[in-house]
Amino acid sequence: MIDFVQNLISGIAVGCIYALAALGFVLVYKSSRVINFSNGQFIAIGAFLAYALAVWAKLPVLLAALLSMLLTAGLGFLVERVFLRRMVGQPIISVIMVTIGLASVLDGLMYLTPFGSGNFTFPQFLPQGGLNLGGLSVSYPQLLAIGFTAIFLLLFGWFFQRSVLGVSMRAVADDQLASMSVGVSVQRVFALAWAVAGLTAAAAGIVVGAVSGLNQDGLIAIGLAVFPAVILGGLDSVPGAVVGGIIIGILQSFSTAYLDGLFSQIGLVGGGSQYVMPFVVLLVMLWFKPHGLFGTEEIERV
Amino acid sequence: MRNPWAQTGNYRTSYEQDTTIFANYREIVSVGLLLVALCILPMFLERSQVLVLNFILIYAIAVLGLNITTGYAGLISVGQAAFMGVGAYTVALSAPHLPFWLTIPLGGLTAAILGFIVGIPSLRVKHLYLALATLAFQEIFVWVVGRSPALAQGAAIPVEMRNFLGLEIGFRNHNYFWYYIILFVLVLMVIAWRNLLRGKYGRALIAVRDNDRAADAMGMDPGRTKLFAFALGALYGGVAGGLLAYMQRAVVVEEFTLGRSVALLAMAIVGGLGTVVGSLLGPAFIEFLRLYMERLSEWMKSNAFIQSITPAGVDVASALLPLSFGLVIVLFLIFEPRGLYNWWRLLRSYFRTWPFRY
Amino acid sequence: MKRVIVLAMVAALGMVMAQGRTVNLLWSGAVTGPTSDVGGPYGAGIEDYCKYANEQKLIPNVTLNCTVRDDQYQNPNTQRIFEEALDRAKPAMYLGYSTGAMLQLKPLINEVKMPTLPASAHIGLIDPPNNQYMFLPVSSYSEQVVALMEYINRTEKNAKIALVVNPSPFGRAVVDHARRAAQRLGQTIVDVREVGGGNLDNTALLRALDAAGATYIIHQNVAGPVANILKDAKRLGLDRKIKQMGAVYTGGSDLIRLAGDAAEGYLWASSYYTLDENTPGIALQKQLAARYNRSADILNSTNYTAGMLAAAIAVEAMKRAAQRFNGRIDNETVYQALIGMNGPNAFKPGFAVSTKAGIEIDFTRTEQTGAEGLRVLEARGGKFVPVTDPFTSALFRQVRNP
Repeated sequence: MIDFVQNLISGIAVGCIYALAALGFVLVYKSSRVINFSNGQFIAIGAFLAYALAVWAKLPVLLAALLSMLLTAGLGFLVERVFLRRMVGQPIISVIMVTIGLASVLDGLMYLTPFGSGNFTFPQFLPQGGLNLGGLSVSYPQLLAIGFTAIFLLLFGWFFQRSVLGVSMRAVADDQLASMSVGVSVQRVFALAWAVAGLTAAAAGIVVGAVSGLNQDGLIAIGLAVFPAVILGGLDSVPGAVVGGIIIGILQSFSTAYLDGLFSQIGLVGGGSQYVMPFVVLLVMLWFKPHGLFGTEEIERV
Repeated sequence: MRNPWAQTGNYRTSYEQDTTIFANYREIVSVGLLLVALCILPMFLERSQVLVLNFILIYAIAVLGLNITTGYAGLISVGQAAFMGVGAYTVALSAPHLPFWLTIPLGGLTAAILGFIVGIPSLRVKHLYLALATLAFQEIFVWVVGRSPALAQGAAIPVEMRNFLGLEIGFRNHNYFWYYIILFVLVLMVIAWRNLLRGKYGRALIAVRDNDRAADAMGMDPGRTKLFAFALGALYGGVAGGLLAYMQRAVVVEEFTLGRSVALLAMAIVGGLGTVVGSLLGPAFIEFLRLYMERLSEWMKSNAFIQSITPAGVDVASALLPLSFGLVIVLFLIFEPRGLYNWWRLLRSYFRTWPFRY
Repeated sequence: MKRVIVLAMVAALGMVMAQGRTVNLLWSGAVTGPTSDVGGPYGAGIEDYCKYANEQKLIPNVTLNCTVRDDQYQNPNTQRIFEEALDRAKPAMYLGYSTGAMLQLKPLINEVKMPTLPASAHIGLIDPPNNQYMFLPVSSYSEQVVALMEYINRTEKNAKIALVVNPSPFGRAVVDHARRAAQRLGQTIVDVREVGGGNLDNTALLRALDAAGATYIIHQNVAGPVANILKDAKRLGLDRKIKQMGAVYTGGSDLIRLAGDAAEGYLWASSYYTLDENTPGIALQKQLAARYNRSADILNSTNYTAGMLAAAIAVEAMKRAAQRFNGRIDNETVYQALIGMNGPNAFKPGFAVSTKAGIEIDFTRTEQTGAEGLRVLEARGGKFVPVTDPFTSALFRQVRNP
């Protein structure tokens, strides 16, 4: 029983990292219907910026983290301005491909720096080890992830319900033409969505860096892990992203704990089912409930 | 038509004409000449240069398939490399028992069946979601291969063919022999592609891509049409993968990962979606870009002056490849969404009216 | 008169051949792309040793033309680079890199009879078929893991061991040999798990292995995933119950940097000397890193040592080929020189440990592993220090082929 609870808690902790990475992704999709394949690169850049500010510029870690989130938000804004804005009205495949091309460009930019290869670690800013309560254990970086996710979820909730900008974002997500006609600046909304996406991606990157060190491939891989989470939660639902992320985290934890043995019995040796189960779930969801747990079904008229 | 050799555009005026493969006999002659040129080309090339051509032609076959799925049916696929992998592993397992002219179609068939299964969500959802279904298939494929002892868990399975009808195939002629086989298969696949898409089915695909509800109302089944497109695209991928297995003499799972799928999609876009010419130009462009960027970065590393002006810790040479690859995709999409095919068209129309302008 | 002219021409030709002759050496590996943290220093090691060899004229009358090329860890690139070299500047020896590409190139390498030293120590490279021209500079991953199992057996009989390997051919290489070795030693392999990069939480993994009764974990992986598992084990208090150890690419300065305190006590099987030891090879490494302005990261990397060792073996084989075959240096003579590199003719550059007989690098026609000796090192106070003498795994030779 205690094993079960421990696996659950560890899964939730990892899931919060996915949720954090998924938030920005969903926001971009919600407002502009763009599937962003360069999310992983934003995560990596955010983490590396924080490292550079903390280690090279010798800023306090928390300040460095904050600055890197703002800078990555700026990068998101810039990317929207330079690339995505030109793609408004283009076929969806073109827009998706632009984000794939963008991912490659951002990779190239990282190769220009020493971060292109090798492993880096943040200076110690959290106490070592973790919280142990009655045989259950959570590491401090994982607590950081849970905290970050909670903060962002509250902020987003307030933002979408109360602020003018948030309401106009929802309006744009609902109907671009109609919101333009009532005077909402669609361009401003798109730019803002990308900026916020950069911000949350950087937050995710910093948490990943604190948990497991910084390595370009590892950070980018988090971007890929987000896809099952968002399909599960529904591509255009902010709470869905959080729930989806947490479910995928738990799924991975349980796969390692309970499924690896089953797989080896059917001849798939070596375990590692945590890497494939999210994608199996993704495929099954697409077969049976493509719009996810919380997503809105698209209704089309000829 | 002043210069029929450089005719561009669609001059077909009736349905009968529209269903022909070639617009006129001149097109037959020019395609024939191109084929002759491709046939004698290897005689002027080194073995390793033929190897580069082989990769380009194999990718061209896979991109042709992608052009059915993505170009004609409008379904984005980031799993074409996995379908290539299915073909390659089918070949690897059947090659000891069957001749290559059976194993390669078998690889295509297996891939088509899997493509059918992966495409099932297309009965219900549209393009965006399908991209994610193919992504899931791509990841699941690599995972399953890595866990299957029968597939050497992703390490090399040798595919050796040392003899064909008494012809000894070895280091000296391996690349040349497979060049002609690949070229032959490519020609077959192009004919099949054109043949299929000029008829009723191709028109149904376009109708479904442009507006599936309207197509539905006109009596076409959008789900089934898309599903068939998916399976067909996968079949092309499987055939390409089978050829790759023979050409590389061994199947290794690293050839069939997400990165390759993305590269294939980029080739299709850069070439021009939904065109045969684009399917050839795209892979050639991306592969030569890679080749020349590699040269450039090696030159930069060896050039003392460039080394002296770059700040320490900045590695321009290794950044060149991803930067150029990404920029090419983005710039094409922004400035030339119709791809290289459009340049080809413009070039021909320039010569048609030469020396006058419009 | 005519005779004089002919003689003069022959003499002139001889002079030209004696002085301006170049011999090609090719390496292609991942300077960028996946695993570039290994490939970068490895390539640098080869490049620097080649420069040094030319400056010191290690091969008399021959200029070494070293080509270091970046294949970005993509097999088609590796294949093209290798075939291009065969067409244009045929190398006398090929230094390879990744497991996948090397396994794929095996048939071609065998057919063109090209002596090849890969950076990957996958045992499948020197196992039949098509293995005649493949040579591993140091002991294979499998041998390292079996040696660690023997080391466990020294202090504890019937140990329960879990294997954690990278999800790739590189990681999986060791599993079969470890199972057979466990059978001989009376140990139990309780589980084999594949863990790759980005392993954000290993609680479920460690608890499952603990529940299965494992008291040892042997890693065949790269440093990143191992560091995360070490940190989690420490947090869960499992570091006292489970002893962790691993093969050559798991350890080194990268692991210490990533895992910090959690790395303490980690056991590492490696054939290479560490930077703290004073051997001719390590001294040369320090000297060359300073001469060619290499960063501290590269100097401290075991992979820099590894690259130098590969290049040193190649240069030595070429030198011996020239001596034995009248100055003829090509793939065939270099192969002969390589397989003659044994007994009193063994090669001792001082990069890797020597076995009791004092032999560092030796090859024969059938024994295609260079440095068969290895040591177990332990992380203590942020450094790896050797805890055993160099030894050769006797058991591995018994379990290599079932």
